[in-house]
Amino acid sequence: MPEPKDLRELGRRLDEARGRDQGRKVQSPPTFFGVAFRFSTELVLALAVGAAMGWGLDWLFGTRPVFIVLMSLFGAAAGMRNVMRAAREMNAEATRGPVPPSLTDDED
Amino acid sequence: MAANPMEQFEIKPLIPIQLGGYDVSFTNQSMWMVIVVGALSLFFVLATWRRSLVPSRAQSMTELSYEFVAGMLNMTAGEEGLKFFPFIFTIFFFVAGSNFFGLIPGSFTVTSQIAVTFALTAVIILTVIITGFIKHGIRFLKLFVPKAPIAMLPLLVPLEIISFCTRPMSLSVRLFANMLAGHTMLKVMAGFVIALGGAGGILSVASIAPMALIVAVTALEILVAFLQAYVFAILSCIYLSEALHLHDH
Repeated sequence: MPEPKDLRELGRRLDEARGRDQGRKVQSPPTFFGVAFRFSTELVLALAVGAAMGWGLDWLFGTRPVFIVLMSLFGAAAGMRNVMRAAREMNAEATRGPVPPSLTDDED
Repeated sequence: MAANPMEQFEIKPLIPIQLGGYDVSFTNQSMWMVIVVGALSLFFVLATWRRSLVPSRAQSMTELSYEFVAGMLNMTAGEEGLKFFPFIFTIFFFVAGSNFFGLIPGSFTVTSQIAVTFALTAVIILTVIITGFIKHGIRFLKLFVPKAPIAMLPLLVPLEIISFCTRPMSLSVRLFANMLAGHTMLKVMAGFVIALGGAGGILSVASIAPMALIVAVTALEILVAFLQAYVFAILSCIYLSEALHLHDH
């Protein structure tokens, strides 16, 4: 039968361990390959999605080259935007603090 | 010995079934999905069978996994996100389970098939869209309208729509490509070991080098298996969070 003192001691140690756990983050820093892979997929996929949407719209309205060209351009732009957004997230995570005002997005 | 490193990804029908002109055979892929889901369900059911205040090891593992996923959901989507706990928990453990089962030599990696990963992300993104419309109604469409001068909106709205549609694609491609690349790399290096080993003389001794690399890469693959499941689940949480709390991210 443990003494109340022992129980109090155990409680204190439990609280301490929980406090330690709180500050720890599970995420490991991204590897260079991971970063490169993420950026390239974001870029290429946005272009592919844009082109596919354009193709679909052309098929719908029978305006063959119009939307596929237009939406491919939009896709490329969306890819750039995705990469910038991802980079900003990574920066914010790397610095672990509030994002510096020079890096905050003034659009959204 | 199979020399083709892509041979491990081939889908072979085990029980051929034809349904209305479609091939819906029970394949090695279906079998491994059943194995993964079965093993996970069996573990969680058995571990929580006899619940006690002082948990057994297995019960402790289930409690830890509960807290891990609940914590992840709470951190990204807040209190409201906890309604989606069963969904995220299932996704995380299905992906993690498939990745880990895929590391068993001779097994089949379910998540190395883009059809599987894309089906998963399609379910996720549909959940996000439906949740958004239920919670915010038509205002959910504001997700596609960034704060910008009115004149810029005709340019920015299609951009945002494409950007939104890219998400399920990048989510599924990331998981699928990581699994495919890792497993192919292991197979290629294993081919080196056999080719060098059979070459005779000094080359046979040199086959130790790719062997050592395989050990290292296998360790890395275990990390990747967990990390990719984690990334998959946490990104699902983030997308859900955006649907729940419009524009305050």
